[in-house]
Amino acid sequence: MPAIQLENISLTLTSAAGPVAILRDLSLTVEDGEAVALLGPSGSGKSSLLMVAASLEAPTSGRAIVAGQDITRLGEDALARFRREHIGIVFQSFHLIPTMTALENVAVPLELAGTPDAFARAKAELETVGLGARLEHYPGQLSGGEQQRVALARAIATRPKVLFADEPTGNLDGATGAGVADLIFALHARSRTTLFLVTHEEALARRCSRILRLKDGRIVADEKAAS
Amino acid sequence: MNLPLSWRFARRELRGGLSGFRIFFACLVLGVAAIAGVGSLADAMLGGMASQGRVLLGGDVAVGLVHRETTPREQAWLEQHGRVSEVISMRGMAYAIKHGAEAERQLIELKAVDGLYPLYGHVGLTPSGTLSSALTCDARQCGAAAEQTLLDHLHIGLGSVLRIGTQDFRITAILTDEPDRLSGGFSLGPHVIVSDAGLKRTGLVTLGSLIEYSYRVAMPSSPEAFRHDARKAFPDGGWAIGDRNHAAPGTQRFIRMVTMFLTLVGLTALAVGGVGAGQAVGAFLDRKRAEIATFKAMGAEGGTIFLMFFLQVMAIALAAVVIGLIAGAALPFAVQAAYGADIPTPTKFAIYPGPLWLAAAFGLCSAAAFAIPPLARAREVAPAMLFRDVVAPVNARGRLPYLLMAGGAGAIVVALALIVAPSPLFAAYFIAGVAGGLVALTLFAQLFRFVLRRLPRTRIPTLRLALANLTRPGAATSSVVVALGLGLTLLSAVMLLDHTIAVQVKDDLPGTAPTFFFVDIQPDQTDEFDRTVHGFHSSEYRRSPMIRGRITALNNVPARLAKVDEGARWALSGDRGITYAATPPEGTEITEGKWWAGNYNGPTLISFDGELAQGMHLKLGDTITLNVLGREITGAIANFRHVDFSNGRQNFVLVLSPGLIDHAPHDFLASVRVPPAEEEAMYRAVTDRFPNVSTVRVKDAIAQVNGLLQELSDGVRGASLVTILAGLFVLAGAIAAGQRARLYDSTVLKVLGATRARIAAVYALEYGLIGFVTGILALGAGTLAAWAVTHYVFGVKFLFDAGTALITVGGGAFATLVFGLVAAWAALSARPARLLRAP
Repeated sequence: MPAIQLENISLTLTSAAGPVAILRDLSLTVEDGEAVALLGPSGSGKSSLLMVAASLEAPTSGRAIVAGQDITRLGEDALARFRREHIGIVFQSFHLIPTMTALENVAVPLELAGTPDAFARAKAELETVGLGARLEHYPGQLSGGEQQRVALARAIATRPKVLFADEPTGNLDGATGAGVADLIFALHARSRTTLFLVTHEEALARRCSRILRLKDGRIVADEKAAS
Repeated sequence: MNLPLSWRFARRELRGGLSGFRIFFACLVLGVAAIAGVGSLADAMLGGMASQGRVLLGGDVAVGLVHRETTPREQAWLEQHGRVSEVISMRGMAYAIKHGAEAERQLIELKAVDGLYPLYGHVGLTPSGTLSSALTCDARQCGAAAEQTLLDHLHIGLGSVLRIGTQDFRITAILTDEPDRLSGGFSLGPHVIVSDAGLKRTGLVTLGSLIEYSYRVAMPSSPEAFRHDARKAFPDGGWAIGDRNHAAPGTQRFIRMVTMFLTLVGLTALAVGGVGAGQAVGAFLDRKRAEIATFKAMGAEGGTIFLMFFLQVMAIALAAVVIGLIAGAALPFAVQAAYGADIPTPTKFAIYPGPLWLAAAFGLCSAAAFAIPPLARAREVAPAMLFRDVVAPVNARGRLPYLLMAGGAGAIVVALALIVAPSPLFAAYFIAGVAGGLVALTLFAQLFRFVLRRLPRTRIPTLRLALANLTRPGAATSSVVVALGLGLTLLSAVMLLDHTIAVQVKDDLPGTAPTFFFVDIQPDQTDEFDRTVHGFHSSEYRRSPMIRGRITALNNVPARLAKVDEGARWALSGDRGITYAATPPEGTEITEGKWWAGNYNGPTLISFDGELAQGMHLKLGDTITLNVLGREITGAIANFRHVDFSNGRQNFVLVLSPGLIDHAPHDFLASVRVPPAEEEAMYRAVTDRFPNVSTVRVKDAIAQVNGLLQELSDGVRGASLVTILAGLFVLAGAIAAGQRARLYDSTVLKVLGATRARIAAVYALEYGLIGFVTGILALGAGTLAAWAVTHYVFGVKFLFDAGTALITVGGGAFATLVFGLVAAWAALSARPARLLRAP
């Protein structure tokens, strides 16, 4: 069963200047365990495609089946439950909760899922990403790289079927970004979670097994990565 | 929705502190403290009066009679129930005796007591001693205890001699505390206490004189059983029975009414604060949009998000409520420390849970009502906003169940206010006025911005920038107009009402009211009295027979059981002046029915106040039963009259046909106007020749009423300032919220070459304009409210006041200007380079 199956997806947003077509009749299948990179210039629809696949935005038309569920038929709260059971997301801007410690941030999705040993598992995830000594630190007390590692631990804490990453190294310097990228791919290799990565870095994309190139809301190339 | 989980998240979020909630917090503390404080103080006073009920009344029960003493049978019956003390009260004239002759004179409230008085409590005298020894009589003189104000007025001191009627009294003590004074009603003069033996010697006690007899009984049985037995034993006795549980019903009702008004003012402050609370919660959630979206992206359901932030807001509200309650509960103790012995009622200082619970419920429900709508909107934040700002539009009003929840919280506030109000109708009008004001101000604020946006672009850059600031997204215009506008509306309405009533009492009433009222003119004195009055350039002289009586039944239904509207009940609660006339007295305005024939001599007919008749559901031909001097008189209503009490002239609710009532012993009431130049001469002439006649100088009574009204209006105006204060909090909050934008604007303007003076002028114009417009609007709304109250409630002509207009409009503009410029000062002082270098 494919991890992600998008059929004839279109997304049009309304703006003050009129409707804007973001995604145009786009179809795509991502197999379970695959690592897919989405490359494309600004405004090509990369993030929008991620949002639709991650059930954060409903398409204007078309069908999206993720982890075996047709998410285009689900209501808002059902989508929320779907995300906490099947999806993990890493954002470019980390989006950690500033009033919570690293440990609490990672525990949030586990708590939402009703996991009884949420904090023990959160601690283990943070140790996995090398932040065992930073459990009680608040986001404001962590470096950018550390914050992104907390975000990564939070995204994988619920053992999602699909891990979405939106420019995960975009806000980090080269060395730190490389460290985070290594971690993402190491976790992917270990857990065999499907990875759906949005990036504008060719080198990072090449670490995936498959590269999709987007332009004007359409997939213009679908290639196997050289590595 | 998962309550424990939401609470866990909420607790973590609360680590962020109160930032952004200070105004919300301050307004809630203020409103709750005001309501809790007023309620606690009222309970302290009412509690004090309840615990001192028998002292205030002078007994466990008090039987009141007018014009007559008890019969031997009645006296014996009373004495079967316990110890009985007789107190006789009347008004009279006291003359200072100087060099053996009558000198200055003064209307007094005279009280004659027996040896048992007071049955409860004690009389305060200076020098201290027992009352009975102070009032002792010898062959020539009796002792009297008088208030210091009488001594001051007559320029006499302790040991001086007073003449009352035909008896001389030596002032043996100054009366400093009269335990039953509060149950005695309105005083027209200083109080003097003499012995019953002394009163008999004055010659003032004649049948028909306006004298009230009170028989206080100290007894072990319950007042309810006493009432029941009394009704059975003396059904036609015309007894007015008071009991220790309702010792001073007028004062208690007054306290309850003032408390209701002040509670409603507190609720208005909460409503004003609520506007700020809604703004604060909205702004807070705007800052939390990314967090909300993150939670949603991690799988949090909308309900969990709502609950998480709702619990945070309510936790902050709870903390504010607790502080408000502590401040409110402390108010009676603060009043005790500040005023102590000057408090006119016995006061029991304690913590009263009732008003605290009520204030807490008001505070929490108001907070919920105003906070839920923005929380409901926040619930709709799309997780996609984490990736870009342009997302599909969300439901801008929030979902229906949440709006119903907010409406439900508001409905609880209204229902509670109506339930606890002694006059639910007044409370309902007040709340409707506040709600209407909120809606009108909100609509106006939107209209104001709409119109400003469509104005043609002005060529004056300062004005253009000011107008742009008022209409840009996130401008404080709406919240300032609504919050400050509501406070100013209340203040202007109160001030205009105060002005209208003050002018009526102080300026208009002296123009229509008589100069003097003369009470207790004996039938054998009428001719000489008329001659005396006519010896002056008098006008509007009117002398009427008068006797006091109680309405005991309407259409043969006992008065206490009759269906009577609240507004008309006063006429059944005590004795009324009754007169009789063969022909309609001058100025009579018959509204329905006909006057009886001039020679009518049949069964008693009644001319009755038409307005009261409506409140008592009476029509022509219905019967009214009166108890006069212990006898029942029943008459049929022949006509209704328009009775105008506002002109201060002689008015009688009841005018009877002659034939029966004129045979009862009675005396006469007279009123007259004289030119100011002759006022003193007439006063001396009448008081010289008729020492038994009580002469009431109307201007003194008006001054006394005016003084009371002034104190009341000062208090009410002071209370209204609570609402203004809440409005200023919201104003400060709204301005502070725009501070970052202000800083950015001024930096950019400075970079473009604008001087600080130019920027300051922009801000001055912006804030001055918004304050001025808010003041104008509040003045309009306040004028409408004050007009409605004067027209529909008081039935008097509304009078506009330019001073109020100036305070409302000028005050509104000044407050916003000052707050705005103070806040803008920081922005003006900032150096552009620092901000431009900042990341």
